[in-house]
Amino acid sequence: MTTASTDGLHRLPPHPGPLPPGEGASFAARDKCRCNEFARRAASIPSPWGEGQGEGESVICRRKPLDDKETSFVSHGKWLVCAFASLVVLTGCATTAPQQRIVLTGDPLVDGQARAQSGPAKDRVLWQYRTAAMALRKGDFALAKRLLDDALLTLGGIYGHDASARKSRRLFQEEARKTFIGEPYERVMAYYYRGILYWMDGEPDNARACFRSAQLMDSDLENKEFSADYVLLEYLDALATAKLAGDPNDALQRAQSLAKGDKLPALDPRANVLFFAEFGNGPVKYATGQYREQLRFRPGQSQTYAARVSVGGQAIPLRSYDDLNFQATTRGGRVMDHVLANKAVFKASTDAVGDAAIVTGAILASQQGRGSDADEAGLGLLAFGLLSKIASAAANPAADTRSWDNLPQHLGFASVQLPPGAHAATVEFLDMSGRPMPGLTRTITINVATDAKDTVVFLSDRK
Amino acid sequence: MKLSFSKFLLPAGTLAAAALLAGCASGGVKNPRGVPVTEMKADERGFVAGTGIESQDLVTVTDKMARSIIGIPQVANAQGQPRILLDPVVNETRFPINKDIFLTRIRVMLNSKAGGKVVFLARDRMGALERERDLKQSGAVTSSSDPNVVEFKGGDFLLTGKLSSLTTRTSQGVSDYVLYTFQLIDVRTSDIIWEDFAEIKKQGLEDAAYR
Repeated sequence: MTTASTDGLHRLPPHPGPLPPGEGASFAARDKCRCNEFARRAASIPSPWGEGQGEGESVICRRKPLDDKETSFVSHGKWLVCAFASLVVLTGCATTAPQQRIVLTGDPLVDGQARAQSGPAKDRVLWQYRTAAMALRKGDFALAKRLLDDALLTLGGIYGHDASARKSRRLFQEEARKTFIGEPYERVMAYYYRGILYWMDGEPDNARACFRSAQLMDSDLENKEFSADYVLLEYLDALATAKLAGDPNDALQRAQSLAKGDKLPALDPRANVLFFAEFGNGPVKYATGQYREQLRFRPGQSQTYAARVSVGGQAIPLRSYDDLNFQATTRGGRVMDHVLANKAVFKASTDAVGDAAIVTGAILASQQGRGSDADEAGLGLLAFGLLSKIASAAANPAADTRSWDNLPQHLGFASVQLPPGAHAATVEFLDMSGRPMPGLTRTITINVATDAKDTVVFLSDRK
Repeated sequence: MKLSFSKFLLPAGTLAAAALLAGCASGGVKNPRGVPVTEMKADERGFVAGTGIESQDLVTVTDKMARSIIGIPQVANAQGQPRILLDPVVNETRFPINKDIFLTRIRVMLNSKAGGKVVFLARDRMGALERERDLKQSGAVTSSSDPNVVEFKGGDFLLTGKLSSLTTRTSQGVSDYVLYTFQLIDVRTSDIIWEDFAEIKKQGLEDAAYR
């Protein structure tokens, strides 16, 4: 039934046909509409230019009312939105350790100490190692001693509960979170360098103690064939024992056994000048595997294979007793490798499960009717898949590749007896053919002590 | 069947994920205010411990040695005061140590507890003592006695020692046994008139992250 508008201003002819649904009908007829403007609209004067579709109408009033199933779907969506928002907010608000800004001066010894002191605590020992090696090469033995003593205190106290190590084994924490103490070859070198410094100070027994601890650091390897196989450490143990009037034969025999076919020089307890030489570039760590969970060692490249000292009319060869590249690459597997492998499996599995759950959930949610059991199950699978993907993304199986990267490749040694006083000497580093490497030859003065203390000379092809 | 998932599991699961990621992302600052210094007894084992020689070992060993020395007949029944020289201990362990600290503590304990039964000679201070004597002999400083008379005493006994160790390392951990032996030697006859020992064994295993 149509009714002509009677506003006194316009007289509309009756509509020729049936009106579209709702057209002309009062809003009161829409008894299910939740439009809040019903009362105002009913009293408003129609626009003289007519009202188009939706014109003047509340958006809410245009939609049909929601049933219970649609209500459920809307609330699910609200939860998902809220969940995402909370994920972003909480993750972003999570605290991180404040990083102290380190001002670099360009002096490697100063900067190294600053990094050790003010950098992350987990990297302190690493910077102490690196800086101590630099200090030793520059002749700052007091600094090298101080740094190595502190580093070795940490190394000696790793037994028992270690929170950082425990956390580094967790699924969602990286291995590099643990306090760095180094792989066996790095721990060996820390003790080796400290032993040289003890001998410099006239304490061959403490030096020997360091060499013994160094050998112990190399003793728990996967392949026992390469356990405690440093020739020089056993030889130095024997030499120190001989100088202390002890029996050096056991240590000397072990050294000879490790040297295999090479004939070691005879021990001379009267030798009062000891040359410790290092040359070449040591190993560096890197990671491989799908998630960088496998620790590998890249041997350093070097053209220096030996050294020679010419002093007092004699040419003293400093042959290589030990090769750190060999030591690093024969380390074998670590217990931590298994932990990282498990982390990688978890990461891959949760990623795959997440993909499957999301796809399945999406299909279920889209193909069935809204509010159906399958729809709810699909949403559940979607959420589960999302969680699984998040867990996969958070899992961290990456291996710790922090390394003491300024180590040498070769360790050499020689000893000689010289009278007290100053002696001019020439040091040469030799290539594989025995020719001096250009730019590495230098002259030094060896001051042989008048007392019973041995004179220790540390030689490196690095400046 | 109306599932109850939407009412419980979904919000719980998403909240769990939020907490998980927040925890994972947190680098956290532990003990941001530091840990105050606490004073400990020297014979007390602290929370920082290794398998090597530590203060509680030093205290235990030197206490035992000092009590043992007081009881020997050459000290207890000596006519006059035996004079003792110190010779640094020999370290045969794998632990670099301050070798003087053992004999220093034994000496201090005997000086404080032995009631003057023994006297130690400060041979480590001979350089300073000789300089003072030279000043007196030159007349640069006064002297309460004739500085040209040699009054530095010779020793009757030599107190020394040795630290030895045995170490075992397997996948189960590291074990260190240290044997502390001390001797009192008659400097005239080389007789070992007194000897005693102490032994301490420790073991530990590092976290798998370090193996």
